[in-house]
Amino acid sequence: MRAIDHHAWTNRWRDRHPAEKLAPAGGLLLLSLVAPPLTTGPLILASTTLVTVRGAGVPLRTLLQVLATPAAFLLAGVPFLAVSVDFANGFSLQLSSAGLHMALETTVRALAAVSCLAFLTLTTPLADLVPLLRRVGVPAGIIELILLVYRLIFLFAERALTGRQAQAARLGYTRLDRAIYSMGLLAGNLFQRALAQARRMEVGLAARGYTGELRVLRLEQTLSWWRLTASMVLIGLIGLAGNLLACGWL
Amino acid sequence: MHIAEGFLPPLHAAAWTAISLPFVVAGARRVNRLMREQPQTKLLLAASGAFAFVLSALKLPSVTGSCSHATGTGLGAILFGPSVMALLGTIVLVFQALLLAHGGLTTLGANVFSMAIAGPWVAYAVFHGAQSLRAPLAVSVFLAAMLGDWATYLTTAGQLAIAFPDPASGIGGALLKFIAVYMPTQLPLAVIEGLLTVVVVNLLNQYSRDELDELAFASEAAK
Repeated sequence: MRAIDHHAWTNRWRDRHPAEKLAPAGGLLLLSLVAPPLTTGPLILASTTLVTVRGAGVPLRTLLQVLATPAAFLLAGVPFLAVSVDFANGFSLQLSSAGLHMALETTVRALAAVSCLAFLTLTTPLADLVPLLRRVGVPAGIIELILLVYRLIFLFAERALTGRQAQAARLGYTRLDRAIYSMGLLAGNLFQRALAQARRMEVGLAARGYTGELRVLRLEQTLSWWRLTASMVLIGLIGLAGNLLACGWL
Repeated sequence: MHIAEGFLPPLHAAAWTAISLPFVVAGARRVNRLMREQPQTKLLLAASGAFAFVLSALKLPSVTGSCSHATGTGLGAILFGPSVMALLGTIVLVFQALLLAHGGLTTLGANVFSMAIAGPWVAYAVFHGAQSLRAPLAVSVFLAAMLGDWATYLTTAGQLAIAFPDPASGIGGALLKFIAVYMPTQLPLAVIEGLLTVVVVNLLNQYSRDELDELAFASEAAK
């Protein structure tokens, strides 16, 4: 969590307009879903890796770490797509070629899609992305709520880690029953402190004339139409190449 | 039980988004109205949302050795009611996708349906059902959290089965397959989460009555 957020705020493309990163990431994500996965998927994976590492300057190690979690989910789930159960005569398990094909396509498609998501989150802080929700009609109040959640998450996460360390140091996690009890206390405590925090913020803001709107200064970022168009053309080319490869024309 | 980004075929991803959207929009409308009437609820809800995220990122004591996390579905449904939970749950799932790479944007609709809609509604119904039968608080909370988790897990298995029907035995076979695959981890996990939620609710009930009453606005709104 720290790693993703850290790179989102410090990468080389940090100051670029969020739409310049959201549009290509979203475009590639949609492409990864609709285009023939076996040929387009690897192209997408290669291009997102290239722009994240070469373009935005995020270390390859970090990118691989981000991809590791969903990859583990895939490895755990995909084999079961390939195996088929048959109840026609008793119970039998078998590997079918249709199942294998489906498993392979799903793996490649999901890896390509995850890499698009990784590119987006490693280059763009959430605080930049959330205000874009305004464009799709999300009310301003809800957007403020989401941004407040974002800011509080890191505060609470630190408290949770400290609390857990303190409990572990007092042998709170040595047996399963103790672990459940300790974790329950930790969660209950966190919640109480979260409520106390909310009350303190409420008083503090009320003292500063809060009427329900939180205004923050934002970095001014100009949208480069040139970069936006160029990225869209590239995505089109990737889609075309993937389709041509799938038809066997390249 | 997050479905990874890109795992569902496009039609399924779109369909689950369309199914989840009305619930989330209804939750958002309600929350937005509450926040306009009482500006301080914004801070309370933000703190609760951040709490839910941090809770879901804590690793649970595990029995099977797999790395597993709490869902907080049952606790959220009991504290805030299912309609507010639909919005808070969606916010948490977006943050999980973007900050932890758990789940994804295209599978957000499916994940929201299983974790922020189906799970909380079941937990809420079980909690109030058990309470109206005069079950002790601990029993109602345990059953709500555990059955809420099972509902989430069965919903996810169903979503995967519809998306990937078994070549030989169709959706039914695939459903059995996915239920069987996740059962060894999900069944005990739900029991652990149930016990955990009991500890949390007991603690809050003992030391934070006032705050719980303050949260009543959320359950009022759900009615």
